[in-house]
Amino acid sequence: MIRTVDLGKQYGDFWAVRDLNLNVREGEIYGFVGPNGAGKTTTILMTLAILQPSRGGVYLFDDQIRASRADVRRKIGVVSEKQFLYPQMTMWEYLDFFGELYQVENRGERIAELATRVELDDVLDRRLGAFSRGMQQKVGFVRALLHDPDLLILDEPVSGLDPMGIRQVRDLVEEENRKGKTVFISSHLLSEVEKLCHRVGIMNNGRLLAEDRMDSLVRRLTEEVELDLEFSKEEPQAAEAVRGFDFVRGIFMEGKFLTVKMKADQDYRRDVVEALISRGHVPVGTRLRSMSLEEAFITITKENISLLTKADA
Amino acid sequence: MGVLGFHPMWVLAKRELRSAIYGIGIYLTILLSLIISSVILQNYIKSVGRDQLLITASPLAYPLFIATVVCAVYLALSSVTSIAREKDMQTLEALFYGPVDHATYILSKYLKGVLSYIFIVLFLAAYFTVASTVSNLGLSLKFLGVLLLSLFLSSCVITFGIFVSTLAGSVRTSVLLFLGIAGGLIAFQISHGALVRIEEPSLAAALIYLRNTLAIINAGVKWTSPFHYMNQGMEAVSLGSVGKYVLSGALSMIYSAVALFASVLVLKRKGVRRTTGE
Repeated sequence: MIRTVDLGKQYGDFWAVRDLNLNVREGEIYGFVGPNGAGKTTTILMTLAILQPSRGGVYLFDDQIRASRADVRRKIGVVSEKQFLYPQMTMWEYLDFFGELYQVENRGERIAELATRVELDDVLDRRLGAFSRGMQQKVGFVRALLHDPDLLILDEPVSGLDPMGIRQVRDLVEEENRKGKTVFISSHLLSEVEKLCHRVGIMNNGRLLAEDRMDSLVRRLTEEVELDLEFSKEEPQAAEAVRGFDFVRGIFMEGKFLTVKMKADQDYRRDVVEALISRGHVPVGTRLRSMSLEEAFITITKENISLLTKADA
Repeated sequence: MGVLGFHPMWVLAKRELRSAIYGIGIYLTILLSLIISSVILQNYIKSVGRDQLLITASPLAYPLFIATVVCAVYLALSSVTSIAREKDMQTLEALFYGPVDHATYILSKYLKGVLSYIFIVLFLAAYFTVASTVSNLGLSLKFLGVLLLSLFLSSCVITFGIFVSTLAGSVRTSVLLFLGIAGGLIAFQISHGALVRIEEPSLAAALIYLRNTLAIINAGVKWTSPFHYMNQGMEAVSLGSVGKYVLSGALSMIYSAVALFASVLVLKRKGVRRTTGE
């Protein structure tokens, strides 16, 4: 859906983005994460042909089309970090203007439907200058969805939203993705990306450090995982059932809970649970604790870049 | 501009035209231009009475020309501020997320300018028809010639304003830049014209040198100044030369096309963002 080939943007001697090879697949939610200044927004602006790349290219949809074509832009919906709305217009006038621009059929109905979805249907006749940051962000979402695009590009979409607003946006994104839309989200709110995205790309200093499925990325970075098991009563002998495995790195027992620290190279959960059941210790609950995206992000960007480089090699 | 470029261009132009028509600026400009024309006309009528003239060639053409210059400058300023304001407020970026590209955007500004001018011309035509009836000064063919030609000439001034606005990043800078460049070009044109009219024997050596230098500069400047095309057009009308008249219209269109093309290139080069962000 989006493919960048050796994409680069240079300002003077500074490369904001360099040698970027992204691949966003059709139908997925792709998280594009990185600290401020990593080059995420620059990449998005080049994708939308708003900024001209200094090197390389961006290809959309059928791999040959660039976003500078008006008919291609009709297939894209964009929400940026700030909306920069026309303050003198009412919400209805603003959306009607964009609806006409995108040649949306039955745009009155479409505006009303989307405004209801983001709970702004009661302020349609209010001037945008009076809207809070969160409301403006939602108007941006409605504008992006108005023409029912195939691809949604969201740059820090939940910035400025309260927890309720974040939840609404998350639901909206998931719903649109279920309808078949491809979603490309740039964010530094890693917990949100983790909840939403199928795959992530991690950027730092203008470079793509990693691009993978969430679980694969974490597996590549993690040497150990912890499996928490809960029993219905205290079972001090349960630890003995798993002690003999060579993948076990440590065992902690506290009350009804057993924590098994294991190697992360494979999924050993079945082995542990079968061993426990065979000795008569039936767990009533299990939970695998692996690295969060935030931990993965810190590992990649700050501490362990070489690990990825080795794995790639 | 893509295949579907005309629709967004029309939507953008329509929105701006509507806001101009509902605003007060356009009517104040029409009023100002009519006041200036009325003063010129009144002086003219007085001189006709004083000198007991019986026949005069196209007496309404010159006041109309002045009125169109005032209105065209207003439209150029309006283009200058509108593009710069959108850059300032960063609303431009949201348009470019959609089916709007650099050419569509620039052409929409031009279309709005031309349509606004046609709207203004309706008022001017109505005023001069009434003035002609009241003052008994007939509406000649030359008057209609100026009216038609003014559309081409105002196109030059509008595109000049659009081009200047693409160079600047804020409303203040673009207005100052426009006034600076336009003022400079007019001042140059006037000083060059004044020096040319003075006979060589009565000029000091330094002034002759200055006149020759200005003549060389003028050879280049005259192609870049929209006001030169206005002068040229007015000259064609006063001489009654059809050839010069057609040439003036054609050159104005070429000037407008070049200015629009340059505006698209500059906007592309400078980008629609004020800052590049991260």
